[in-house]
Amino acid sequence: MISAPKGRYGRLRLFMAQLLVAALVLFEASGFAQEEDGHFEVRSASAGLIGGVYYLNAQIEYRLSQAAMEALESGVALTIELQIDVGRVRRFMPDPEVASLRQRYQLQYHALSERFVVRNVNSGEQESFPSVASALAGLGDVRGLPVLDEALLDEGRRYRIRMRAGLDVEEFPGPMRLLIFWLDEWQLVSEWYEWLLRP
Amino acid sequence: MVAKTLRRFTFSALVLIGTVLWISALLLLAQTTQNSAQFARLQNWILLINAIGVAVFLILIAGSLFRLVRDYRQHIAGSRLKARMVAMFVVLAVVPLLLVYYFSVQFLNRGIDSWFRVEIEQALDDALSLSKTSLDITMQEYLTRTEGMAETLSNLRNRRLVSDNHDLVSELGLLRRESGAIEITLVGQNSRIIATSSDHPADVVPRPPTEEVLLQLRQGRPYVGLHPTAHGYDIHVAASVRTQSATAEQWILLGMFPVADRLATLADSVQTAYNEYGELAYLRGPLKYSFTLTLTLILLLSLLTAVYGAFFSARRLFQPIQNLVAGTQAVAKGDLDTRLPKASHDEMGFLVNSFNDMTRRLREAREQAGLSRQEVENERANLAIILARLSTGVVSLENDLRIRTANQAAGAILGVDLENRVGELLPDVAGGHALLTQFLEAWRAHSQAGDTDWREQIVLHGQVGRRVLMCACTSLPDEDGALSGSVVVFDDITALLQAQRDAAWGEVARRLAHEIKNPLTPIQLSAERMRKKYLGTMEREDAQVLERATHTIVQQVEAMKEMVNAFSDYARAPDMEFSHFDINQLVSEVADLYRAKEMGIQLSMNLDRNIPTIEADDRRIRQILHNLMRNALEAMDGREDSKVELVTRLKDEEDYLAVEILVVDNGPGFQMEIEQVFDPYVTSKPKGTGLGLAIVKKLVDEHGGRIDAENGEQGGARIRIILPVDETARTAMLPMASRRQEIRREQA
Repeated sequence: MISAPKGRYGRLRLFMAQLLVAALVLFEASGFAQEEDGHFEVRSASAGLIGGVYYLNAQIEYRLSQAAMEALESGVALTIELQIDVGRVRRFMPDPEVASLRQRYQLQYHALSERFVVRNVNSGEQESFPSVASALAGLGDVRGLPVLDEALLDEGRRYRIRMRAGLDVEEFPGPMRLLIFWLDEWQLVSEWYEWLLRP
Repeated sequence: MVAKTLRRFTFSALVLIGTVLWISALLLLAQTTQNSAQFARLQNWILLINAIGVAVFLILIAGSLFRLVRDYRQHIAGSRLKARMVAMFVVLAVVPLLLVYYFSVQFLNRGIDSWFRVEIEQALDDALSLSKTSLDITMQEYLTRTEGMAETLSNLRNRRLVSDNHDLVSELGLLRRESGAIEITLVGQNSRIIATSSDHPADVVPRPPTEEVLLQLRQGRPYVGLHPTAHGYDIHVAASVRTQSATAEQWILLGMFPVADRLATLADSVQTAYNEYGELAYLRGPLKYSFTLTLTLILLLSLLTAVYGAFFSARRLFQPIQNLVAGTQAVAKGDLDTRLPKASHDEMGFLVNSFNDMTRRLREAREQAGLSRQEVENERANLAIILARLSTGVVSLENDLRIRTANQAAGAILGVDLENRVGELLPDVAGGHALLTQFLEAWRAHSQAGDTDWREQIVLHGQVGRRVLMCACTSLPDEDGALSGSVVVFDDITALLQAQRDAAWGEVARRLAHEIKNPLTPIQLSAERMRKKYLGTMEREDAQVLERATHTIVQQVEAMKEMVNAFSDYARAPDMEFSHFDINQLVSEVADLYRAKEMGIQLSMNLDRNIPTIEADDRRIRQILHNLMRNALEAMDGREDSKVELVTRLKDEEDYLAVEILVVDNGPGFQMEIEQVFDPYVTSKPKGTGLGLAIVKKLVDEHGGRIDAENGEQGGARIRIILPVDETARTAMLPMASRRQEIRREQA
């Protein structure tokens, strides 16, 4: 049998315990502990040399969380960023970075056309899709993205290319960023995908 | 000191940081509410600043609360009042803040909600629908045109009017220009581009139909869609080109038409407004949340500032009071070095300065008092030393006869150790002590007569004989001038008087010897010559007369010679020759001389065989014994059963050895005052010069001994001599007889 703690300090401990339990319940009830339902993953990636330039081909799976989907359908533009880093592999020293590329795309719902517009922020090109799925599929199919000039690489050395895709929360409207900072469902970023390159 | 300065600096720095953070946060918030873009940019900074500020104030408040609770539990003065004041300040600060907070949140929520009105939303929906409808009309028009072009191509294909690709391109160019399309493309099986025609053939690469298009066409429906572009809108249309041959390749005609600029601009405006409104509506919740959170943080910071301000104010207010209380307690415990830290320049500062001034003056006074007390103590010590060294007796008494002070000499003179009886009543101390009792009676006599200051020579009688004291009494006034007691200063002048008498008698004896002895011999010689010359020539009767007369003259001259010799002995200067000898043997030798039957006395001796040899002048001692024996014999002259007893005893005193010699007879005893026995020319005997006992006393004194005489209870005289056995004993006995001795030597 558990007896209630006696005395002034006993009551204080009991109150603190109750406060902790209440905080945990509230935490569970809020969105803080919500299970992650969005997912970004780089399925495959490779770089091919064409005309002295390495072009990236990759397949990325984008699955938006419910919150991101709601924001998108409400007219909020989502920015997705591809981070591509190229570094020289060294045995006993840190790998120096040779090149780095940030490719950003903006996905937004166009109410008038009822289409989802994907705009390449870097080039300004844009393309529209009839659905989110097709837009995300179109985003995930990266073909012929120039990433590296062959001249930057030394022959005979090994290079590591890694890439990942993530939702860029910096571009969100101010009030949202405060929320996004605390909520896991907005933390959408893939793991790094790495492979070696031998010029 | 350094730690205190460091703590004060840290405290000031924390307060400054907190204040700066607080004001910065408020300013930032004020600015950002005017500019949402700036708010978005600075929001994280605002949150960070506030978080740091909250942390700083929480630390400060926790420290203050800890100190307050500690002081409260230790019942430190002022802590309860301080706790009450802190609670009051907190309530006064927190309640208005919470009220403001509540209404601010309400106002904020309602203000944001007021941005979103159903009418605006409906209007935007309607505007969007209108735009869509307007574009739908255009799209339908282009669909119709595209279907017409597809029909035309179908006819040409069925009638085999287009045999090769070149004909198709020409035909497509014609149709494009007729339809107003930007680009039309004919696509075959597997998205194969058969032919295309474009306004800008060099710029645009024809693209194959998307899955969306193909799917719709497979369902037998043409495709028309509005596609937003970077520069506006395009209308994409797709229609199947029918063929009569079942085996012929399926053709699709894709057309891309422009949207009129005016229409595109208006539609884009509606789209932008709709989109922004939708985004804003979506952000309504986060916006409320952000503002509420920011406001909450600001409020929290204000709240913590107010709470800490309450602690700070209470501490500032009560610290001087607590310091004063602690200082007062310290002063009460005797710590006059307490100095309170300087407070502000208000009344509290004045109080603190007054307190510090008071403690400084108290300390100075105490130091002065300590110095004075030290001086008094030194004086007392000096006085005590002087009193101890004085040969004069000093006794100070309270009004109730309690002994206040007494020196060693007083005790020696009065025969009581008064020095160790200080604080006791003199009558109690005097019990059983004859000298002190008589001394007290003399004092009382004057006291009862009302004499406070008197001077008198008093005579005390004790076992050791007669003591003459010269007393001077002075009253001691207290601080108020009332009598608080008296001090009696007295000298034992017994020896002085005796010495004066001895000196006087010595002078008399010397003059007598000098003046009388010289004419005696001529007298005697003249008498003898007269007898010799005239005795034979005279008649028988005259001769007899002459014979008797000259005989008498000669006899009396002889007697006078003896007397003069005795005077000479008495007046002579001491020339002692000390040697060691057996006193018992000496006593026996002297006694033997008086054992002859013709002496007619019974002589008995009681000699102590434990007596060691003594150091003395044996000739003088022999003279002493002869004188005493002769004195006894002369006193008992003619008595039958005359008895003389000689007794020797070893006296083992505390710090010296002495020999006691008693000469006891059964004669008539002394017929005069015992005190005058040893004075010259004092005699009760028919014979004698009256110098025998005087010379004895003089010789005893020269040996450092004591002599006293008394009459026996059953008659007879009893003379007791105490002689030191050696020089050490003589030195030890000297204090008792020193003054006598010194005075006598001076006289000599």
